[in-house]
Amino acid sequence: MIKALKREFTALQDDPWQLALVSYIPLISIIALWLLFSAGLPRQLPVAVVDLDNSQTSRALARQLQANPVTKPISYTGLPSAEAAMKQGEVYALLVLPYGLKRDLLTSKTPIIDIRYNSQFLLVGKLLSSQLQASMADGLKPLGELKLLAAGVPMERVAVNLSPVSSQTTALFNRNNNYVGFLVPPVLIALLQLVAMMVFANSLNRELRWNTTKQWYQLGVYKVIAAKVVFYTPLVLLHGGFILALIYLYLGLPIAGSIAVLLIAQTLMLLAVWLVVLTIFFVLKDSARVISFCTAMFAPAFAFMGVTFPTHEMPQLAQWWRVIMPTSHYIETHIAVVSYGQSLIASLPQMLSYWGFLLLLIPIGIFAKKGFAESELAATSEAANSMALKEQ
Amino acid sequence: MSLLQLIWAELKAILADKTIVITVFGGVLFYSILYPLPYLHQVPTEQQLVVIDHDRSSLSRQLIRHADASPKISVIAELGSIDEAKRWIETGRAHGLLVIPANFRRDLLLGKGVTLSYGGDASYFLIYSAVAEGLISAGLDAGQNIQRLGMLAQGDNAKAVEQSLNVVKLNSIPAFNPSLGYTPYIVPGLFLLILHQTLLIGTGILGASQWRAQGYWQQVSPLKLVCGRIAAFMLVYSLLSSYYVGYCYYWYDVSLQASIGRVALLMLPFLLATSAAGIAFSSLFTRRDLPTQVLLLISMPILFVSGFVWPTALIPEPVVAISQIVPAVPGIMAMLELNQMGASWQSIMPQWLQLWAMVAVFFALAYWGVSKRLKPVS
Repeated sequence: MIKALKREFTALQDDPWQLALVSYIPLISIIALWLLFSAGLPRQLPVAVVDLDNSQTSRALARQLQANPVTKPISYTGLPSAEAAMKQGEVYALLVLPYGLKRDLLTSKTPIIDIRYNSQFLLVGKLLSSQLQASMADGLKPLGELKLLAAGVPMERVAVNLSPVSSQTTALFNRNNNYVGFLVPPVLIALLQLVAMMVFANSLNRELRWNTTKQWYQLGVYKVIAAKVVFYTPLVLLHGGFILALIYLYLGLPIAGSIAVLLIAQTLMLLAVWLVVLTIFFVLKDSARVISFCTAMFAPAFAFMGVTFPTHEMPQLAQWWRVIMPTSHYIETHIAVVSYGQSLIASLPQMLSYWGFLLLLIPIGIFAKKGFAESELAATSEAANSMALKEQ
Repeated sequence: MSLLQLIWAELKAILADKTIVITVFGGVLFYSILYPLPYLHQVPTEQQLVVIDHDRSSLSRQLIRHADASPKISVIAELGSIDEAKRWIETGRAHGLLVIPANFRRDLLLGKGVTLSYGGDASYFLIYSAVAEGLISAGLDAGQNIQRLGMLAQGDNAKAVEQSLNVVKLNSIPAFNPSLGYTPYIVPGLFLLILHQTLLIGTGILGASQWRAQGYWQQVSPLKLVCGRIAAFMLVYSLLSSYYVGYCYYWYDVSLQASIGRVALLMLPFLLATSAAGIAFSSLFTRRDLPTQVLLLISMPILFVSGFVWPTALIPEPVVAISQIVPAVPGIMAMLELNQMGASWQSIMPQWLQLWAMVAVFFALAYWGVSKRLKPVS
């Protein structure tokens, strides 16, 4: 076993790409992805305001948008220029204060304030729609108050009369709707799975490229695989730990449970990834094809996690595909631990959901037994390539 | 070897390489089904909600019925306490809760204010926003009902009541993606990225497997090889792009605003720049399994930096500046503006020219890289 481990270690030293993949590449990717979302809370999103009324009331309403941290009003004199800005994505929403707004309000007619929000950018559009409506409703309150006071309603009763039912909306487990807490963990977990897949696939492919499959079989098929697992699991887990440390220790986002439970869950996820990669490797036995196939499988993992789009709304076929992605099993434990403070004991049933991956041991066993007899010829050209590389 | 023969040889080389066929044709076809699969139901509806009714009056029951009537919410249980509701949410049986305070009806009839509490699981934003929207509209409705009753009781006439309840009508309408659906939001940008990435991988693998071997590529000049290869991949990708931009956009209910000519005019520099970039990129590799890995790692950052998932204004400026060297970034934005948001051709001119500049730069890089790769052997 120690011999096999040593073998992995020397192999790692000879492969600059693999070395990069277990050291700085994941770190750079993790930090780059975090930087993208580092703003966390959407603020100062440009909104086009077309004030056709130019009255005191309409200006007060436009100022209301200035006071909202989410929106940044930009004045346009006419509808066509605002429309063009909207189509170019320069502003994400458009607010039209109609001509005669104040007059209609004073004469007890119902003016219409038009809001158009860019739903092609769904996330921004939805946010702006609710923020603009809230801002307008708030800005119109003083007018209603004035009206009630004029009708002889006593001061204390005005607020109640205006909105008898007030609401208190609580965003549970993510109190300020922070996108870093919501989006960054699943994105980084998807990245971790990709890195894990590549590291393990490269380590298996190396046997093909250097034509060391015979040596592998002499040492014992499962012994070498076990050595690879023992060798690479901690290395990749280190990056998983870095992700958790970045989000929950350095950035200090709230976590209700313990990081240790998450690390255990990550280990299980990695083992599941290894099993999938092993199966694909033993079935295909060609380095570029193994990578292409694994990529095709794992690249869309983020979409299937069910964080952005809820799982129970997915069609049945998507839910089945979801089950074969190790990340979707992990992310459930992750959210439960981070949000609900789930303990290790309560996480165990979730961790048992990986049992299906153990079935992969059957095809691995069958295809590993077949060996590499037929593929060795194909591998020689690859081996020649790598020999030439080594000579340089 | 004439250029036509070269293109023919390139096409044969592409089709003979199983890995490239799997990635380019297999990948493009497979992803056109797999990627939008989770989003096919478009909008989250009927989120499970539990209610804690401390009032148990006719009005509170009416409120619960109204909440249940909202398409976004389905009330699945009435529980005794908030702690119990918390357990339901933690075990994933429910996603939101509504608390109706004691004396809800009595206070309203007496003209005192009451506060309804809503909570939603914000670990999932889409679920949370569905729960919040549904409950707020149900709550507003209940409030207005009470106001209407009160004012009618005071002797106002029905029409005046209606007017003073709705002082201003807010007409808030989504533009460009009227259904607020998820596939029209994700598909246009994502599919361009898939074309971009598979094209880069295809050219990358083809180059990486050729540099150290003998073949037709050594019999032609580097300039000719680059031109021939771009032409061959353009042929393949004009077909695949027609399938994606023509058929898939239509199939997944993406809103289509531009004419076919304009879309083609935009796709031309996009595909040219991408294939030139791919050839330049391929000269960095001699191992066939590496291009896929590098491109896989940068896929997610490109997707998020392109500006339709997360607003560009919120991304740190250096990151945005670096991202401008990737053809997909101006390509996706220009496509969204032109085809999904109906902008005029003039307004996407900057991105279009940027793509042509990329064609020039990447072509020069590709020429340089290929001639370097071919030199030591010949």
